[in-house]
Order: sequence, then structure tokens, then C-alpha cells
Amino acid sequence: MRDAFAKFEAAGIKLYALSYDDQETLTEFAEKQGVQYTLLSDTDSRVIKQYGLLNQQLSKEDAFLYGIPYPGVYVCDENGTVVSKFFHDSYKKRESPEILIDAALGRITIDETAPQAVSSDDGIRIMAALHGGNGSLRQGIVRQLVTTFELPDGLHIYGEPVPQGLTATEIRVEGPDGLVTLPIEAPPTTPLHLKALGIDLNVWSGTVNLAIPLYPVGELVSECRPIDEREVELSVHVTFQACTNETCLLPETRSLTLRVALEEVDVPNLPIHTGHGQREGSYDSTPAMKRLIWRKIRKNPLRLLQFIWNRKRMERRSKRES
Amino acid sequence: MKAERDELGFDAPAPLGHPVRASLPENAPTGPAIGDRLPDFSLPNAFGQMVTFHEDRGVSKAALVFYRSAVW
Repeated sequence: MRDAFAKFEAAGIKLYALSYDDQETLTEFAEKQGVQYTLLSDTDSRVIKQYGLLNQQLSKEDAFLYGIPYPGVYVCDENGTVVSKFFHDSYKKRESPEILIDAALGRITIDETAPQAVSSDDGIRIMAALHGGNGSLRQGIVRQLVTTFELPDGLHIYGEPVPQGLTATEIRVEGPDGLVTLPIEAPPTTPLHLKALGIDLNVWSGTVNLAIPLYPVGELVSECRPIDEREVELSVHVTFQACTNETCLLPETRSLTLRVALEEVDVPNLPIHTGHGQREGSYDSTPAMKRLIWRKIRKNPLRLLQFIWNRKRMERRSKRES
Repeated sequence: MKAERDELGFDAPAPLGHPVRASLPENAPTGPAIGDRLPDFSLPNAFGQMVTFHEDRGVSKAALVFYRSAVW
């Protein structure tokens, strides 16, 4: 987020980040980490509750954790109306900032510097690019493998469903173990009715961006060990059939290969997170942690016992495991 | 501490089952729907100034991020 701030600004999108952290913590965090967007402090989780996002899996017995939201992002237009929202099954998954910007602007804008591969043949240019975050992969951060078709005038390709004998566009991304791909995101097709044949088709023409969201998990990038490979190879297999209203080219599959970097995870500068070879923050949040615990204890002194109990339980467990 | 991998493939330094690592339930609420206006609110920013969301946003598009914590 921090690194992408300039992109938000250039796109005219204001960025707000809300948490249950106290204001002093946010001041320190913003200063040490050079955060330029607006951090908001919701210490009693009033707005988190107002939005209905209070994490109900945590009980008040979870002391210092209680009060956090189910994490997610809303993107709104000039009127404040939600145009997109992103919530996931894991707190580790989140959209790359570029995807939020695309959602606000309603189009995909790929950086010129993104890792890419191009195939030009029969006048049809296909580009595959890793979109988001300087073209690297990072644990849980959802980026996109975008396949861009540039179709000459008069040619179109097909979306599902297609009548028998025609081939719908299909994209398959092949990568190392630990790379998770999500279902394709495509712009709506245009209906095309061919009177002579009495068939209805769903087509794309001109420039078309087809995006496959993807992210690495622990097998590939883990926050608990250093990255062992700096770069991995992604193969993109693009199957399609290009046609005019009268005739069709043969279906074909083009394979494009790109090499992308693996990136460290940003981890908080707390003893439990540090020393794993990841990118440690310049903000030591130990004092903030103490403040957070104290804030909870002050509200209810029993929390101190719960805190100690939870900590002991965790230590015992980790000893047992190792 | 040994990394424990969760069912979605993620590693974290806290043990599995620790509340800090809980995945989100399938039907976890996700607040306002697409097409809704974001509910307005006022909260202090990092400099202690009160920010009223829609007033501060003015006529800009915005991204509003709910995250767990800057501390841990």
C-alpha cells in the first residue's frame, strides 16, 4: 500500500486504512514506515461494528485481539457508492493495490515495466503480463496474470458458451507448486447473432484483457523462512479461435513464458515475526503492543490473567511441536 | 518456532488454532453491498485530527481498507 501510494494519488483515489490501533500507534507507524495515506484509529471498534465487520470468531476472552474486523476493502466512486469490495477466506489474502485502482477506474492499466511475453502471429498480438506490485509474487497478495488480445478489425474471439465446432477462449497458467490461481475475470462479451446460420455467439473484439488472479502460498513464499528461489517461471497457455462474421481461422494454442520474482513478506517488527529472513518493518511495535494490552487490561483486569494464560498455552504448544 | 501451515496453504509463526490465525468463516459478514453508499463516520487520524469520511473524501473516489492491526 505504502509503495503504491503514488499510483493511488495519480489516479485521483483517496486511500483510507482503518484499524483498532490507538492513535499513538498510528502516529509512530506512519512516521517510521513513511505512510502517506490516511490511517484511522477505531479503538473501541465503533465503526468496525457499524459496518458489521467485527470478527465474531474472537471472544472477549481473546483479550488483546478482540475488536479486530474481518479484513477487507471497499472501493467507492465519487458519490461514495461501493463499486467493488474484496473480502477473503484468509486474513493473509489481499488484493494488490493495482487491482483496487483498476476497480475504481473500471479498467486494467498494466505497468510498462511488468514482466511480460508477447506472441504476434496472423496479425493477432497476445501479451501475457504479471500485473501488480512491480511484477513480483508475494505471499497471499492477489495479483493478476493478464492476457491481452489485440485483434485486428473484423476479427473476434469467443467466450462461453460456444456452439459445437467453435472453440471458446481458454487460459491456463502453469507455475511452481504453491502458486494458487483463481477463476478468470473477463469483461462482458458482446452478443453476436449470425442470421445466415441462425446461431447466437458471445464475442470479444478489439483489445481484450482477460485476467487470472493468482497468489503464492507457504510452499512457494513463506513468512517463516527466507526465499530460496529468487525467480520462478510461469507458462501461460492461451487457446482461442479467431473468426470474422464469415469465416474462421483454425483454433490454436499459444504458450508464453515469463519469469517473475518472488518477494519477501512485510512482517511486523515483533520478536515472533523477526529473524525469518523476511522484510522486517522499521517500526518496532513492542511499545504499541504493551499499550494495546494495557488498554484491554484497564477495561477489565481479568484480561491480564487471560493474556498470561493464552501466552503460556501458546508457548507450551510450540514446545510440544518442536 | 516451527511454521505450521494452515488449510489454505499459508504459514505463520503462531500455532494453528491460535485465534490470531483463524480463517474467515464461509459466511462471514462483509458489510455494505455493491451499490450501497458507504456509511459515514468520524474517527481520529494519525495526527489526532477528526476525519469525517465523506467530507474528507470530497468528490474523490476512495479505497477504504479494514485491516487487523499495525501492531502485530
